[in-house]
This record gives sequence, structure tokens and C-alpha cells, in this order.
Amino acid sequence: MNDMRLMERSAMTNDVKISASQVQVFYGESHAIKDVNVDILDKTVTAFIGPSGCGKSTFLRCLNRMNDTIDICRVEGRITLDGEDIYDREVDPVQLRARVGMVFQKPNPFPKSIYDNVAYGPKIHGQVRSRDELDEVVEKSLRRAALWDEVKDRLSAPGTGLSGGQQQRLCIARAVATSPEVLLMDEPCSALDPIATAQVEELIDELREQFSVVIVTHSMQQAARVSQRTAFFHLGNLVEYGETGQIFTNPGDPRTESYITGRIG
Amino acid sequence: MTDASAQFEGRGRPSLRVQDARTRRRNAAEKRFRAYGLVAIGVGILALFVLLASIFGNGSSAFFQTKIQLQVPLEEKALDKSGTRDPEAMKKVTTVGYGRVLKAALADLIAREGIEIDGLSKRDIDSFLSKEAPAQLRNHVLANPDLIGTTIAFEVMTNGRIDGYFKGRVSLDSAELDSNVSPAQLHLADALKDRGLLGTGFNLDFLTAPDASDQRPEAAGLGVAIIGSAYMMIVVLCLALPIGVAASIYLEEFARKNWLTDLIEVNIANLAAVPSIVFGILGLAIFINFAGLPQSAPIVGGLVLTLMTLPTIIISTRAALRAVPPSIKDAALGIGASKTQAVFHHVLPLAAPGILTGTIIGLAQALGETAPLLLIGMVAFVREYPGAPVEGFFDPASALPVQVYNWTQRADPAFVERASGAIIVLLAFLVVMNTIAIVLRRRYERRW
Ligand SMILES: Nc1ncnc2c1ncn2[C@@H]1O[C@H](COP(=O)(O)OP(=O)(O)O)[C@@H](O)[C@H]1O
Ligand SMILES: [Mg+2]
Repeated sequence: MNDMRLMERSAMTNDVKISASQVQVFYGESHAIKDVNVDILDKTVTAFIGPSGCGKSTFLRCLNRMNDTIDICRVEGRITLDGEDIYDREVDPVQLRARVGMVFQKPNPFPKSIYDNVAYGPKIHGQVRSRDELDEVVEKSLRRAALWDEVKDRLSAPGTGLSGGQQQRLCIARAVATSPEVLLMDEPCSALDPIATAQVEELIDELREQFSVVIVTHSMQQAARVSQRTAFFHLGNLVEYGETGQIFTNPGDPRTESYITGRIG
Repeated sequence: MTDASAQFEGRGRPSLRVQDARTRRRNAAEKRFRAYGLVAIGVGILALFVLLASIFGNGSSAFFQTKIQLQVPLEEKALDKSGTRDPEAMKKVTTVGYGRVLKAALADLIAREGIEIDGLSKRDIDSFLSKEAPAQLRNHVLANPDLIGTTIAFEVMTNGRIDGYFKGRVSLDSAELDSNVSPAQLHLADALKDRGLLGTGFNLDFLTAPDASDQRPEAAGLGVAIIGSAYMMIVVLCLALPIGVAASIYLEEFARKNWLTDLIEVNIANLAAVPSIVFGILGLAIFINFAGLPQSAPIVGGLVLTLMTLPTIIISTRAALRAVPPSIKDAALGIGASKTQAVFHHVLPLAAPGILTGTIIGLAQALGETAPLLLIGMVAFVREYPGAPVEGFFDPASALPVQVYNWTQRADPAFVERASGAIIVLLAFLVVMNTIAIVLRRRYERRW
């Protein structure tokens, strides 16, 4: 009896964080995303999988309006964050991106010190009032990114001098430093070796406690390892979306099955 | 056909040590191309060497000047009749008065040293010294009125022909035919030199003195031209850098790509190719005739050169901005920086070395530019130093390349030496600027 109620409650906390309906994306004339409807849950890792060129990155970039920076890109449909339309004319994408952080495929630390890399976000958003507070945020973010122990003695060293895996964790620390609600990751491990990949995956699992994480990956094993929910994209369409276990063991669509068994991709 | 297929059949293959006809042809082509390259580089180096040799051969002597050591009695009755030592009152004595003092001092020296030279007339002695010397003595005395009544040791420039004699420009034979110098004067110069009273030394005045008239090449210097050029460079730097960088950032990072920006882009590229004299005409029409700015002023020269330099700076700045990896900007935007913040915090600092390099190269171009300055009257003969900035920007001045042009137009061969000397100075500035640009580029190249 009690158990049931607990389960209900935990299901309740998995509120819908981002909801997309009838999203279309065009690059000039080409139709890159077609009729995508998806609800992304809070405190959950959602994986986007699919063959390359199917529009995973494009759709991910819609969620924090990074596509605005591409002149020829046009987005239609409705995407809400906590029920608010993020493409509303009054929404400032800059404010949105402080709440929906992003980690890119290639590690891209600023050519500045490790400290400055992490401190940049809180500084420009005026989230800290004193140097001490900033130090605290930097430390907390680096700890969260499982990087603190490796860099605590050389915070003023350039971030570009770290190894690839460390750089990517630095980018994650930089993204979480602004305490976003959603973290978007576009193939964050594709430039990393297996050990660094394992570290980042572990990290993603921990981040789930505080954030809603959306990760694009072309590795199905990775999706299976880190995500609770999986969306399969194919040629701009969202083919299937559901519990990760379900998608991998019992896909509903023949295209999903072909992809998972390695026949398309 | 059968030959070729036979070659590829097992044992029948020729040795690798024997080059086949095709390989030989390719190797010959490569050798020929290398030879062309070497010849091209050789021609270039030779031309550069000849150029530098002729300029330094002609011009390095401009940095040296023949001077004579005189004991000059500064008598009160000649130079300060009022006896008050008041510079205002002393100004009544003109350079003619000081000239008399110097001539007397020279005649005195000759007598004291017992130098006897056939055919040395009083006129020869009078014209032995530079026409500029009395003015120098006068300035010296007016600056230090207390010297009146004493005898001072004063170093005086000789006339340009005497100077030319020691630099090999004038010979005893040529002096026969020259109304400006006599063989007797040259003998006198030799005699003085033997006694160690006359010598050729380093001539700092060449860098600091203003221009001088046709009759006194020995006194002509680059002071006004260097100040004028420096002022123009300041104007160019202060205007072209901010305007150019702002325009580039706007075009590169903010402007939407449409037909209007395309048009602007084409125009900027074209502007960079417009002959410089056209900018001079534009400057004359707009800044002088329309805006009423003074002629010959560094401000006008600077404005014209700014117009000329802008395309260079814009093109190199845009290239530098484009060379910054977009991932850096994405990173900034991704954590919620605005476009302006992303550009100013991250893109611009990374592009700065490239921007500075382009700016310095643009400035170097502007420094050597002559044609537009001729049109706005910077070729005028200016003896007054322009004032201190900023008012000085509106005073008449000359400019280094124009001074070169100006001196090559003068009749006296001594000005050839001056012009070449000015070219050396100009080249020195350009080499320094380009070196800075190269060092900057090397040091900060791709740090990300
Ligand atoms: N900046 C762009 N301009 C034009 N077309 C683009 C751009 N980015 C992506 N596309 C196109 O959109 C489609 C989806 O690309 P993308 O989202 O990068 O795929 P994925 O991340 O799944 O590999 C591809 O066909 C790609 O060519
Ligand atoms: Mg992608």
C-alpha cells in the first residue's frame, strides 16, 4: 500500500520538463526535422539515437535555441520549458540558455584558465556577489564534473592544456556552473577514449539527480547504459520514443529494430 | 601494348635502379621548375640588393656632416648694444650681425694657424661656412644671453660643397667650374682638417632639424617631416582602428547576409584597390574645400590616409575574426552569453593579434604613401615645427615620403644625399613596424 504511494510520488516528480509538439525545422528549403512530438522528463536522462544526419543535433539545438545563430535555419511548432513557450517573441534566448545549458561534441574550453572557464557563466549572469562565492561555485561545479581533484592545484592553468576527457568534463563543469535546469549534450563522448567516456557516463548518471539531461549519441550501448528514456530519429522523423529498456528489447517500429540490430546506420 | 604487359610479368621487370622514360621526364620537369624558382628568387634578391646598396651608398653620408671648431668671441658691442642681456632687445641683431662675427672668427683662426693659401680671397672665407650657421649661433646666444662677453667654442657647419668634398661629391676639378666653391676653399678645408680643426662627425641634426632652402642643403633635416608623419600615424591609428574594427565586427558577427552586405563587401574590396591619388582628390574636395580644414596639416593627411587604410584594416580584421573557431563562440552562447558578450569576451581577444598585425601593415602602407599628400599641400616648404598635439595636428607640416619627393626635385646635388638619407629613415621605420607585426603574429599565432 505504502509502496504504491511512494512509487506514484516518484513518478510525479518526473514531471515533463520540456515538451515539443509538431516541431519542424528547415535549413533553407531542406526539411531537417519533421513533425516531432516529444516530452522530456525532469531528472531523467533522455537519449537521442539515430543514424548520422537524421537530425538529432538539429533537434537538440532547438531546445536552447542555438539554431537562432544559423541564418538559414527556421523552426516551427511549439516547444515549452515548464509550460512556457521558448519560441515566444518575448523570450530572450540568452536568458533561456542560462537555464538550458549545452555541452558540445568537440570539447571547446575557452583559451583561458580553468578557473575562468567555470567562472564565466556565473559572472555574466550576475549569479555571484563576491569572490568567495565565485570560488565556491567554481569548486562545486568542478567537483560535480568529477574534475576537482585533478585540477585543484592548477586552477590558473589554461583549460586548453588539459587532456581531451578532462576538457570535456571542464565543459560540463562550465555548463553546470550556471545551475541550469536542463543539460543538453551533443555526442559528448565522441572525441574521447574509452576511459574518459566511462568517466563522463558516470558523471551523467550523477547529474540526473539535479538536472534533466538530454544526450545525443550514436552509440547504442551508451544510450542503453546511461539513459532512462530513448528517442530514435530517422531521416528527420521521431520514429519511436519510450523507456530505454523497452526500445532496446522490444522496439515497436521495424526501422528501430533494423537500426538496433545494425541493419541501418 | 605487348611490351608493357611483358614488363609486368614476373622476372622480366626492369630493375628499379634504371629510370624509365616517364620517370626521367618527370624528374627533368621537377629540376627545371626548381631552376626557375631559384632564378626568380635570385632576381628578387639581386634587385633588393641593388636598391639597398644604391640607397645606402647615396644616403648614409647624410647622417654625417663636416663641421669646423671655431673660437667665437661674443662681444657686447656687436651683439647686445643695450647691455641688458634682455633677449627681446638682443633680437634686434639679425643673422647678418652674427654672420659677421663668425666670419671674423674664421679669418682669425686662419691667421692664428698661419695658413697661407694661394688665391684665397675674403669672399672665399666668407662663404666657407654654412649660411645656416649664423642662425644657429644666434639661437644659441638668445637662449643663453649670459654668454655675451665671453668667447665660446662653437661647432659650425661648413658650406655644403666643402661637406661634399669630404664625401667625394666635389673635387678640385669640379670646383674650378663651380661658382659656389673655389679650389682655394678646398685647400683651406684640407689644411684645417690636417690641423684637426675640421672634421666629419655624426649629424643628429639630420633627424631633428627642419627643412632648409635650396642654398643650404647641409642644414636640411627631417625633424618636421618626422613629426608630421608621426602625427598622421596617430590620427590614422585613432580613427582607422576603432572604425575598422567596429565595422568588421558588425559585418562579420551581426549583419545578416543579404544583398546589401554583399554590396558593402564588394565595395570594401574595391576600395582597397582604388589608386591612392584618388583619395587625395577626395580629401582635397571634402576636408579642405568643403570642411575648411587647413592645407598642409597632418589632420587632413591623417584623415585621407585613414580612408585609405580602412579597407586594409577591415579586410584583415574580418579575416582574423573568421579565423577564430566558431566552437568558441558556440561555447559562450551555449552558457547564455549574449552575442555581444561572446564577441567581446572571446572572439575579439583571440582575433586581436591578427587585427594588430593588419593594422600595423596598414599603418606602414600609410606611412609610405605620397601621392594623396601632394594633393592636399603637404609638399609645402615648412620650417616651423608643428605644435604639440592636439593643436599641432592643424599646423602645417611635411611628411617623410613627401620630403623625399621634395628633395629629389631640388637642383643642388647635395639634396640627392639628403633624399637617400630620408629614404633610409623611412625604411627603418617600415622595417621596425613590419618586424613588430611579424613578431606579434608569431607569438600569438593560434593559441587555442
Ligand atoms: N548549418 C546547417 N545548414 C544546413 N544544413 C544543415 C546544417 N546543420 C545540419 N544540416 C542538415 O540537417 C540534417 C540533420 O543534421 P544534424 O542535425 O547535424 O544530424 P545528426 O546530428 O543527427 O547527425 C542533415 O541533413 C544536415 O545536412
Ligand atoms: Mg550531430
